[in-house]
Amino acid sequence: MTAAATHPSRAGAVTRNALAQLAGDRRFLILSTVVPIVVIYLLKVFWDALDTPLLQQSRFAVPGGVFIVHFVTYVLTAIVLVRERVAATMERMFISGYRPGEIVAGYLGAYTLLATFQSVLILAWLTWLFDLGLGLGGTLQVYLVMWLMAVVSMALGMLVSNFARNEGQVFPFIPLVMMPPVFLSGMIVGVDALPTWARVVSHIVPLRYAVDVIHKITDGVGALSAWGSLLTLPALAAAILFLAARTLREEV
Amino acid sequence: MVSAVRLAKRYRTVTALDGVDLAICRGEVFGFIGPNGAGKTTLIRAIVGALRPTSGTVTVLGLDPLADRWELRGRIGYMPQQPALYPDLTTRRNLAFFAAAHRRRGDGADIDRTLAVVELADRAGDPVRTLSGGMRQRVSLACALVHEPALVILDEPTSGVDPELRAAFWEHFRAMAAAGATVIVSTHQMSEALMCDRVALLRRGRVIATEDPGVLLRSGRATVELWRDGVRTSVTLDDYPSQLPGLIGDGVDRIEVTLEPLDEIVLRLVAGDKR
Repeated sequence: MTAAATHPSRAGAVTRNALAQLAGDRRFLILSTVVPIVVIYLLKVFWDALDTPLLQQSRFAVPGGVFIVHFVTYVLTAIVLVRERVAATMERMFISGYRPGEIVAGYLGAYTLLATFQSVLILAWLTWLFDLGLGLGGTLQVYLVMWLMAVVSMALGMLVSNFARNEGQVFPFIPLVMMPPVFLSGMIVGVDALPTWARVVSHIVPLRYAVDVIHKITDGVGALSAWGSLLTLPALAAAILFLAARTLREEV
Repeated sequence: MVSAVRLAKRYRTVTALDGVDLAICRGEVFGFIGPNGAGKTTLIRAIVGALRPTSGTVTVLGLDPLADRWELRGRIGYMPQQPALYPDLTTRRNLAFFAAAHRRRGDGADIDRTLAVVELADRAGDPVRTLSGGMRQRVSLACALVHEPALVILDEPTSGVDPELRAAFWEHFRAMAAAGATVIVSTHQMSEALMCDRVALLRRGRVIATEDPGVLLRSGRATVELWRDGVRTSVTLDDYPSQLPGLIGDGVDRIEVTLEPLDEIVLRLVAGDKR
């Protein structure tokens, strides 16, 4: 028998377990929903203070909202998984027979469900607050991008948690993973305006692809006109998840 | 059942296991006894495949704990030193989760039976964070036993458990062994050594003795007080099973023998004193 002998029932058990933990940890649930809501409100306050009628509101507000989902999902996933390591439940999972792939898939299942609802809430708030006026089609397309970014963020959180022994060690990874997207994703300044080296580096920044698709949506030409970026997001998620499953340490 | 040959684990500055040889038989209750830092937990983690030895080999149920880990893990039950439970989940959910690793139904009779063994049936629906330390220890034990493993490996299962429940735990370990399971228990409570069929005494990463605890007890010193013609004398015997009969001669009115307690014998052995 090898690690390849994974079983959906075990991944399902990990998902149910993670969901039950979420239900039992209200603080976590509140943090993962209320924090983005509050931060998006601050974004609106900031936007109103700028008072620049020339700039298209949705072009900045939507990527900003997606970035907030990216940030919160990434940090919370990393911390939850490191907590499993600190409490030794991760090791106990392994010794009880859970395979790395089942643990990654199980957690992904649970947190994807959370992200599905979280994205609905955040997008509704964003649409109402900024009066986005994207129409049903545009809103659904933004939702897809936001949801894909949430999955990418979870994958990144899982990957990073494999390199931290305790919650404290997660913190250095937060700016490392979260600051480059602010400047290199095209969220504030277009990627084309960046120097060559920064443009090259921007290719490994997942948010760059999300911002590319969102700009097409807010420009009214539709997500499919950036199909390359749209397909890159799930591909990146799959690649990072693969890395996360491969680097999940079972032994010391 | 479990064997180790010249097993060693070295970290950068610390040698946790230093050439351990061991052979544990089926149906035995086997104790790892030693002070903190002796290597008990490292040895257990090598047996369950949670760490890669620096050198030497371990064989568990005929399998390599690392190369054959997935096959092995279905057949062993492991209770780590820290409870390693989900505090926000109920007792029953914790058990169901670890039972599900073995693809057992999470709501079945297995869980009820195991909860009864650890006397926690009445707390099945309570979140683990609301339980006392001793109760958490019992939930942790239950998680290791829920799939009825052939080999049970328990790292200090009775720490923080009150004497009454400790006795119940040991009764259960003996019953499991009687039913054919092999039980490995680590402890720093020397008195628990007597409950084992055999014990390995560990000191600084080495097994310094593997004995039947009765043999260990007989290897201890005895203090003998003799009243001969009303005069009391006191002698210490290094080998009382052979020396004591010679003392009981004519004129002895009364004799009182105090055997060295097992914990002192063990402490003396692990401290490196000669017998």
